[in-house]
Amino acid sequence: MEHHVGHVTQIPEREALIVTINGRSIGIFKVDGRLYAVKNVCPHKQAPLCRGTVGGTMLPSRPGELEFGLDGGVLKCPWHGWEFDLSTGECLFGVSDRRVATYPVEVRDEQVYLKLR
Amino acid sequence: MGAGDGMRIIDSDVHPWINGDIEGLLPYLGMAWRRRFEGRTRLPDHPLRPPLAGATSIRGDARPPGGGAGGSDPAYMAEDLLDRYGIEHAVLSSIQAGKLATLPNTEEAVVLARAFNDFFLNEWLSVDSRYKLAACVAPHDPLEAAKEIRRIGSEEGVVAIFLPLLNTLMGNRRYYPIYEAAQEFGLPILIHPTGTEGGFQTSVAFAGGVPSTYIERHTVFPEVAMGNLASLVFEGVFARFPGLKLVMAEFGYGWVPHVLWRMDQNWREFRREVPWIDREPSGYVLDRVRFTTQPAEEPEKEEYLLQILEMIHADRTLIFSTDYPHWDNDVPKSTFRSVPEPTRQRIFYDNAAELFGLRTPAEV
Ligand code: FES
Repeated sequence: MEHHVGHVTQIPEREALIVTINGRSIGIFKVDGRLYAVKNVCPHKQAPLCRGTVGGTMLPSRPGELEFGLDGGVLKCPWHGWEFDLSTGECLFGVSDRRVATYPVEVRDEQVYLKLR
Repeated sequence: MGAGDGMRIIDSDVHPWINGDIEGLLPYLGMAWRRRFEGRTRLPDHPLRPPLAGATSIRGDARPPGGGAGGSDPAYMAEDLLDRYGIEHAVLSSIQAGKLATLPNTEEAVVLARAFNDFFLNEWLSVDSRYKLAACVAPHDPLEAAKEIRRIGSEEGVVAIFLPLLNTLMGNRRYYPIYEAAQEFGLPILIHPTGTEGGFQTSVAFAGGVPSTYIERHTVFPEVAMGNLASLVFEGVFARFPGLKLVMAEFGYGWVPHVLWRMDQNWREFRREVPWIDREPSGYVLDRVRFTTQPAEEPEKEEYLLQILEMIHADRTLIFSTDYPHWDNDVPKSTFRSVPEPTRQRIFYDNAAELFGLRTPAEV
């Protein structure tokens, strides 16, 4: 089932537009022109996940070394800071096998559409 | 909506914030003290910050719509915490007051403690009667602290005394004037990590050395509680002050069985060193000490939680807390789901109601 969300300019960069569709709270993100839609409930303890921050993170590395990566691809929960892959909803780096639901989102004629199963 | 099942709730660990630190307290300071703090109104932060958005422990999504830091607006907190989860009473303790432990100057600490209490009585407790206060005292001068307890101890809504610790164990007799005054007013002493541990010369030192990351210092907070518990028990503080009660907030509880058993075992072996302890030391803890639930531990198997609760007699000793608005807050509907009644209700309400003397008029 497809839902019209709004004009593409209504989605802020790296910050969620939070919409409610069929009683479900969903965050729509835009990062470098790409759109993502994520369920606004953290699978850990039900925080409003989409009010977290979008950015990158430190990749697994050897002791004492730091390597920053995945910039723009990571959604961090505003509560305990669990990090999720924006596109797949997977919790990164084996922190947990819980994942957050993500939804296909599409732009046609500058209008944003969300597909819900 | 509460815990989702009509359960009654008291939240024993909630943190209001004062925008601008001392800046916000200025109206509660005399003219000369306002001058004294000119240009230095920020209370210091521990240098190891949480690796979260804004490097702050305050939830980004708890920011009040009217501006200011999360936890700084009593009306918004009432909506976002108390109404949302059906919390009947919320015990406020100030993390900023905890930073008194960083101040090397006794007079300043004493004056600020007074200002903190006047601020919260005036700007929080008067806004919503569900707010209750763990009034702070400066540990630097126990006689002044006792005076402060006697000044505000019978104010409506004051239910505990928050004691930010310096690097002296709680069994030390320097604290006795504080315990005496708290006992006189029937107020439990509440301790909580001040967030300054290991970061300042005056604050509590961690065992063995200085942790070098936030994850490390956050992991070892419980050692502060373990050391102080043993100190209080064996120095005979509970025997000396028969009405004294203690809340250990946010120090965890999974470690408690080990410490209780070890104290009892050692007592059987070394009783003669502390002959004023005339019963199993664990008995003092079960009778007089209460532990808050947050951060609820996440054991490998859920059944371990129930086992630990049994070992610590949680139906007497454990009291529910959210730690709102901090990053690791626990909300009622996702906390202790597997704990059966009536233990669950004792943890979420009864134990705290008895401890803080909080009963609705109908129950009194
Ligand atoms: S609720 Fe999201 S990480 Fe805990």
